[in-house]
Amino acid sequence: MYGGGNIFEPSNHNDVLNEDPVKLQEFEARIERGEKIEPSDWMPKLYRKQLIRMIEQHAHSEIIGALPEGTWITRAPGFKRKLALMAKVQDEVGHAQLLYSAAETLGKSREDMISDLINGKSKYSNIFNYPAYTWADSCFISWLVDAGAIVNQVANSKGSYGPYCRALERICIEESFHLKYGHHCVIHLATGTPKQRQMMQEAVDRWWAPMMHFFGPSDKISVHTEILMKWKVKMASNDDCRQQFLDMYVPKIWELGLTVPDTNLKKNEETGMWEFTEPDWEEFKRVINGDGPCNEERLAVRRMAEERGQWVRNALKSADMKYVTPLA
Amino acid sequence: MTEAIKDLLYKIADDQLIIGHRNSEWTGLGPMLEEDIAFSSMAQDKVGQSLAFYNLLHDLGESDPDTVAFMRNANQFHNCQLVELPIGEYDFSLVRHFLFDHAEMIRFEMLSNSAVEEIAQLARKLVGEIRYHVMHADVWIKQLGVGDTRERLQKALEMALPYALGIFEESKYEQDLISNDIFSGEQALRDTWQSSITTVLTETELQLPDLTTLTPLIGGRYGDHSDHLQPLLDEMSEVFKVDPGADW
Amino acid sequence: MDSLDPRIQRLNFPKWEKDLEKNHLDQLETYEVFVQTKEGKPYQHEGVVHASNSDMAFLFAKEQFGRRYTCTGMWIARSSDVSVSQTTEADKSVYDFVEASANSDQLESCEVFHLYKRGKQHRHVGAVQAANYEHALSESKKTIDEQKTVYNVWVIKSSDLLKSAEEDKVIWSTLPEKQFRDAIAYKGADKIKEFKEKQANS
Repeated sequence: MYGGGNIFEPSNHNDVLNEDPVKLQEFEARIERGEKIEPSDWMPKLYRKQLIRMIEQHAHSEIIGALPEGTWITRAPGFKRKLALMAKVQDEVGHAQLLYSAAETLGKSREDMISDLINGKSKYSNIFNYPAYTWADSCFISWLVDAGAIVNQVANSKGSYGPYCRALERICIEESFHLKYGHHCVIHLATGTPKQRQMMQEAVDRWWAPMMHFFGPSDKISVHTEILMKWKVKMASNDDCRQQFLDMYVPKIWELGLTVPDTNLKKNEETGMWEFTEPDWEEFKRVINGDGPCNEERLAVRRMAEERGQWVRNALKSADMKYVTPLA
Repeated sequence: MTEAIKDLLYKIADDQLIIGHRNSEWTGLGPMLEEDIAFSSMAQDKVGQSLAFYNLLHDLGESDPDTVAFMRNANQFHNCQLVELPIGEYDFSLVRHFLFDHAEMIRFEMLSNSAVEEIAQLARKLVGEIRYHVMHADVWIKQLGVGDTRERLQKALEMALPYALGIFEESKYEQDLISNDIFSGEQALRDTWQSSITTVLTETELQLPDLTTLTPLIGGRYGDHSDHLQPLLDEMSEVFKVDPGADW
Repeated sequence: MDSLDPRIQRLNFPKWEKDLEKNHLDQLETYEVFVQTKEGKPYQHEGVVHASNSDMAFLFAKEQFGRRYTCTGMWIARSSDVSVSQTTEADKSVYDFVEASANSDQLESCEVFHLYKRGKQHRHVGAVQAANYEHALSESKKTIDEQKTVYNVWVIKSSDLLKSAEEDKVIWSTLPEKQFRDAIAYKGADKIKEFKEKQANS
């Protein structure tokens, strides 16, 4: 699961000017025709760099995203929920595996990416820096955070890089299970006992602001990414994804008798656009730069898992083993 | 005879649930991504298997699976103590998985011929799942049971073995089950298990101690557990017990 | 704040530290995974796993690439054992650039995989007897009846492929019953309808 708000570096046009113009033209023509770029193809340095960055952030978000829901894995109520949550968190780990592999085809090893994650050099989706206080929080994540991720991932799966598209196609199929499972959980809480209902409403209240942040800052204040859009690296604008999410899910939240903690939230019937209170982008920046309620814990837990597993991975290594990048 | 069958089903179902629960604690925290996924799948298989056995019990008049699994206290559980121990480090979790799953594979093979058709059918269906679990355990034990990691594995093996012998604690209905061809009995299971694990261990540098010198840690089959089970159950049912009547 | 996750609380590991360092580890080897979802269907490339040997790669692949729906077989090959052709585009096929070559050296069985569209997966199309990679391409051009444009070809010696054993197929037998991993197991429309009716009546 992953939202927008990719942190792209502002692109330096000199990078592109230094590329071989003939190769660049062939590359751009291929994308223009709607053909995918495969790992063995020539590609501009900037394309490679930004793709690694984006896919890596996506992979990190999956592996870190396994933690807030994992908080409830031993406490899921009843067999149906227990099995589903185990499978759901497992899928997130599986998605990380797929995405790291896709990024590896561009020349950065998984170990290097994970190093950058736990050394704080690489970002992941901001939303996972918030705590899952109750079972209902995990239900909110399964339904709505994954719903948001699907909006973004479906757009990205139409991008230009073959291995990333293949990974995303697989991921989107699995996400449809997450979405249905999460919705099922929320329906049961919202239509259940007063206690369950209250639990669910409180989770919505807690998670709404992070959810609005999930798609990233408004396009008006984001770095310019025209060239990345032309190369089909960035596929949808943050604002479009946010609008699409609101359009699809706010009615589904309301129909369960739940309220959204934003009195300004409404659809403008004339423009067809949702209006809402501007999210607090200062808070977004603060949390993404490390000062959210769970940033430290998330990274520390990830590091601990790496350290505890290190003897196992060392034992699997042998001197004659040679790493090669995945083929596709 | 129904009581004997229920006793047999409870110990299997409880074993599967508790080990599945324990092993699920690694999900998202495993030593490498691929292994994290594989280990989680097996934990899901175990919990799914326990559900299938609780369903058989439900058919015999016991409460529904959720109530049985989430509302009983430790002294009502029939699992062996091996499965309730904390996950420890990965060496212990792997060794427990190896010792337990070899026993389980043989138990299911035996039950495939049970005179109780419902049990035989279920056992036959699950043999494939367990075959993979054993395959997984064997590959890992062979990989880590040599060289620099041998010592870690040996320690874990020695720690786990007395508990593993508790798997084979006989029930008070043992003779009834054997004479009615329902289950060939724990002693027969233990004998086959010992040769099965020995075959794998001889391909490693691990030493299997003389099992006759070990005192099995028993009691689990009669509701006598270590201090680890009740907290596990409290945690597992924390949300469920907020309102056991609610539909979650 | 302290962790809300009981699994983490139990580990009692030292308070979160700001200074994070991870020992750099080398990568394990890379293995390509091919899956058959139904009897008779071609094996298709599904992705990679990192592992220390092919047995372990198989264990990993089984759950990463075959834990849903149906699966009837799996093949594993070291990435470094795969010979890869150039990738073509538009209406150009890899075989347009392959010249016939004869070879009388020791012949070996080689499995051939085709890519029919950029962005899609390689699919197994058959085996040829060949002495080396170039020879395999030429043999495959000659013997495999291919109607479609082929954008990329992989060749793997049959002896370099780990194929799941016939008697091990039972490991996938309960897969279709694992519906808890599938969206269709979670239907909530009735409950919403009932809820709305109750609200309308109150």
